[in-house]
Amino acid sequence: MTMQKNNKQKPDLVALAFVAPALILYGLFVILPTISSFYYSFTSWDGISPIINFVGFANYREIFTSARFGNALRNTLILTVFISVFENAIALMLALAVDHVHWGKNVFRSILYLPVLISGIVSGFIWKIMYNYNFGAINSFLKNVGMGGSVQDWLGNTKLTLLMIGVVLIWKGAGYYMIIYLAGLQSVSTDVMEAAQIDGAGASQRFWHITMPLISGTFTINFTLSLINGLKVFDQISVMTDGGPGFTSETIVYLLYKVGFNEGRQGFGTAVGVVLLFIIILLNTVQQKFLRSREVQI
Amino acid sequence: MKAVKKPRWHDFVLLLVLILIAFVFLYPLLFALQSAFKSNGEILKNPISLPTSLYVQNFRDLFEQSDFFTAIVHSVLLTVVSEVLIIFIVPMAAYAIDRRPSRFTGLLYTFFLAGMMVPFHLYMFPLFKEMKFFHIFGTMAGPVVSYIAGSVSFGTLLYCSFLKTVPLEIEEAARIDGCSPFKTFWRVTFPLLGPCTGSMVILNGLGIWNDYLMPYLVLPSGKAKTITVEIASFVGQYTARWDIVFAGTIISIVPALLIFLMFQKYFVKGITAGGAKG
Repeated sequence: MTMQKNNKQKPDLVALAFVAPALILYGLFVILPTISSFYYSFTSWDGISPIINFVGFANYREIFTSARFGNALRNTLILTVFISVFENAIALMLALAVDHVHWGKNVFRSILYLPVLISGIVSGFIWKIMYNYNFGAINSFLKNVGMGGSVQDWLGNTKLTLLMIGVVLIWKGAGYYMIIYLAGLQSVSTDVMEAAQIDGAGASQRFWHITMPLISGTFTINFTLSLINGLKVFDQISVMTDGGPGFTSETIVYLLYKVGFNEGRQGFGTAVGVVLLFIIILLNTVQQKFLRSREVQI
Repeated sequence: MKAVKKPRWHDFVLLLVLILIAFVFLYPLLFALQSAFKSNGEILKNPISLPTSLYVQNFRDLFEQSDFFTAIVHSVLLTVVSEVLIIFIVPMAAYAIDRRPSRFTGLLYTFFLAGMMVPFHLYMFPLFKEMKFFHIFGTMAGPVVSYIAGSVSFGTLLYCSFLKTVPLEIEEAARIDGCSPFKTFWRVTFPLLGPCTGSMVILNGLGIWNDYLMPYLVLPSGKAKTITVEIASFVGQYTARWDIVFAGTIISIVPALLIFLMFQKYFVKGITAGGAKG
């Protein structure tokens, strides 16, 4: 893009008119509430009462000392890392498989993408029923194939709850990342691949030394995207476990929602949200650093 | 492009593996579909069996025992009205940012994109307070303005990256012929942005169609809200009537599925453009 030097004397009224509707709505309904949430995070606001008391850093002090937030942070990290690692590994394998398959490429791509289309609530409901101890499809299948010993209360077993929620999200999200990986794989030139093959490089050598370096940018972007999406998981938890059993599946976002709406502590809730925002900004910064360092190498 | 090669044995193995994986991915959806056509007794007795007859009582009960029709109307209205307004507002802003570069529009680009990092959960409490101030809390206008505002970040990214591929010559010719900037955009440039608009409407519209938290918290209680919200409330309410809930899930999935099958390429374009820049 060529940067033209604009006339300094006049502001560009045409540009202003074009951006005004978007700027006003975005400013009023995204930026303003975001900025005011910083303010509310220093108050004991309950969400209803017009009286808002300033409490200084009390909310933040509570966040960093309370066992409940510690537990939510731990759950969020487990869930997010589990989802991101498997979602990307599976999405990349699916992309490679779909890219190489001889027949029905488009059909497979569409089928693997289908779970992305359904809502978080619906996906949570379907899997909740499949996980059900007495009447679920999974236990019923296990009994039918003679693996009755593996029958579980999948969501009720506190060791498994988070991972079982993670499985739903991986199932729902892998197709999305697969599409991005497929686009990344298009950039790997067949000439280079064929040259490597002639030189005697095996399939795994070609993957690790040609494909992976060439799609490392795509990988970084996908990994960051899935981390950020993992941090924001809400719908499935709400419909499947409501944060339980006990606090086993209460994540940061779920804690924020519960203290805000069920316990009337929206000041504290927004403080939790501010901490979440800083985690996301940190992840984005790390991603940018990674992408830049890669660009220099190539 | 790859030359057509003769299939070898490992091609057959890969095909078989993919068929198996595709089945695993598809199974939960098939499970929902078959359960929607089974009576509650059948679902409980043998969850993995196929329905024995085409049983549609679940759908009848769904509409008779709840106000699901209103929920469908609300979902359609929220999605359509928001998308129409988004397509009126967002491309225009992106056009000014890309075609009239200045310090102002440069800053605006950064300012708009920064919103992609802000999670809805962070600002929802103050947002609802603001909605009450503007008297749009508890009305359809509340979610609509919020959806438009929330689409500005991703929309700007998508349209700005697409605008770089649209040649300037035609616009310049229109300008020389005395066409106003507003007319030039809507008559000349906007029609060329078709594929981008397709991606925007489809990806963003799907997000609104499937959204839960906003309509759940903003729309008035005591009445049906949206399809997604109704399904979530059934799960709590009718713990013993899974058949009805499954009927609802099928109604929620079918429109998204049809749109996907008709406009697949827009999904792919939108996702890759969004992913290309993070």
